[in-house]
Amino acid sequence: MIGKLLTADFLKIKRKGLWFLTALGPIGVVALQMVNYGVRKDYLLQQSEDDWSYYLLNVHSFTPLALVLGIAILTSFIASIENETNAWKQLIALPVSKLTVYLSKFTVLATLLLLSSTLLMVFTCAYGMFLDLGESVPYMELAKYSYYPYLAALPILALQLWIASVSHNQGIPITVGIFGVIFAYSAYVLPDWMIWKWPSLMNEWDEPIINVLFGLAVGIILYIIGMIDFARRDVK
Amino acid sequence: MRALLQAEWYKLRKSKMVPIILAGPIIGLFIGLTSNLEVDSHINEWYLTLFSMNLTYALLFLPLITGVFASVICRYEHQSGGWKQLLALPVTRGKVFVAKYLLIMMLVMAMQLLYLCSIYAVGMMKGFTDPFPMEIVWKSILGGWVATLPLVALQLWMSILFKSFAAPFAVNVIFTLPSIFAINSERFGPYYPWAQPFSMMYIGGNTEDVFFVPWDQLLTVVGGGFIVFFLGGYLYFQRKAV
Repeated sequence: MIGKLLTADFLKIKRKGLWFLTALGPIGVVALQMVNYGVRKDYLLQQSEDDWSYYLLNVHSFTPLALVLGIAILTSFIASIENETNAWKQLIALPVSKLTVYLSKFTVLATLLLLSSTLLMVFTCAYGMFLDLGESVPYMELAKYSYYPYLAALPILALQLWIASVSHNQGIPITVGIFGVIFAYSAYVLPDWMIWKWPSLMNEWDEPIINVLFGLAVGIILYIIGMIDFARRDVK
Repeated sequence: MRALLQAEWYKLRKSKMVPIILAGPIIGLFIGLTSNLEVDSHINEWYLTLFSMNLTYALLFLPLITGVFASVICRYEHQSGGWKQLLALPVTRGKVFVAKYLLIMMLVMAMQLLYLCSIYAVGMMKGFTDPFPMEIVWKSILGGWVATLPLVALQLWMSILFKSFAAPFAVNVIFTLPSIFAINSERFGPYYPWAQPFSMMYIGGNTEDVFFVPWDQLLTVVGGGFIVFFLGGYLYFQRKAV
């Protein structure tokens, strides 16, 4: 059942610009570094001994912002595909449970974002090599800076999908997304328990893996709460 | 025209607009109370708070939220053939476009004023004793409003073009995020329309100028951007098939 729902959901997002946006996110993040390094490469290379690490940090300064905004855009898109034509009713009328409908939407979004993170790693690596930052490419660090923020952002994804799928007015989830990006932008003043701080991989112990583990745990909890709430509501 | 504005106002009152407008002062309070830049110099203590509040508010929040306003204003029309009903009335399309634009600008103004209140509230909570720098604050509040003129025009265009909320928002995000870089650049910053809310609310700018930016920059970038986006949206709406 879930397989067919997923096929249907992937069909629905065709030709709506979602794949385009999924690719545009990582391209944009790396393109900003292209401008940055293009304009003042010499100055930036002087800033640190370890050019690769410094470059990764520069890329990572935009990843959380792009991720939070990307999540808000994609979730709202997915919800408005059903909202616009009142298709929730028809979808629920099929012999599928509401829980699987929600799971399928979440899986589509998680897949898109995973693809986005993978592209980020590829583009970051490619531009880093082009810049000639040094012989030994830190592949482990590269993978860390690409996938850790994604995993740490799962609670935000679960929260945004919940809000987007139960709001009739999509202005509400978008406004929540804007709050999210302001929080992500001022992550260094936020307390550690705020989920919008986690994609920045900062915490008081300086151990990024903690953010990932919390992200997975709280992501699952928020997902379950959202799913149950979605299932209990009337479809209008 | 007055009847049209009134009709838009009625629709707006049922659009859950209040929580979205309140987002402005809430963000202001949040940034103001969390920022803890400390310097022991003799400058007015309001300046530092204002500086950090305006940075986040004008750089990301203001450009992004104006897009939400534009989408909310067009929401009723996109649902179940609202454009048809609205345009079947004895009104011209041009007037509908102008009425919607004016209403959004009024909303932005309301939010700017609420943000002004939040600046004052932050100062009160922190117990500032220095005199409130009224002139500078007014300049930045009004300046931020003027700087959104072209942005709102583009967002209204995009909101009429796309049915969903997410698409105009995506356009908005694509243009707004690079302004984080643009403001650091002497060369591109002054010419990037999405960086203007920041430049015009940036209290460290040249206080001799009206709104902290030179007149020619104001006229060419903000004025020019406004004309291009407004005419683009206006002409698109004239031809739009409803």
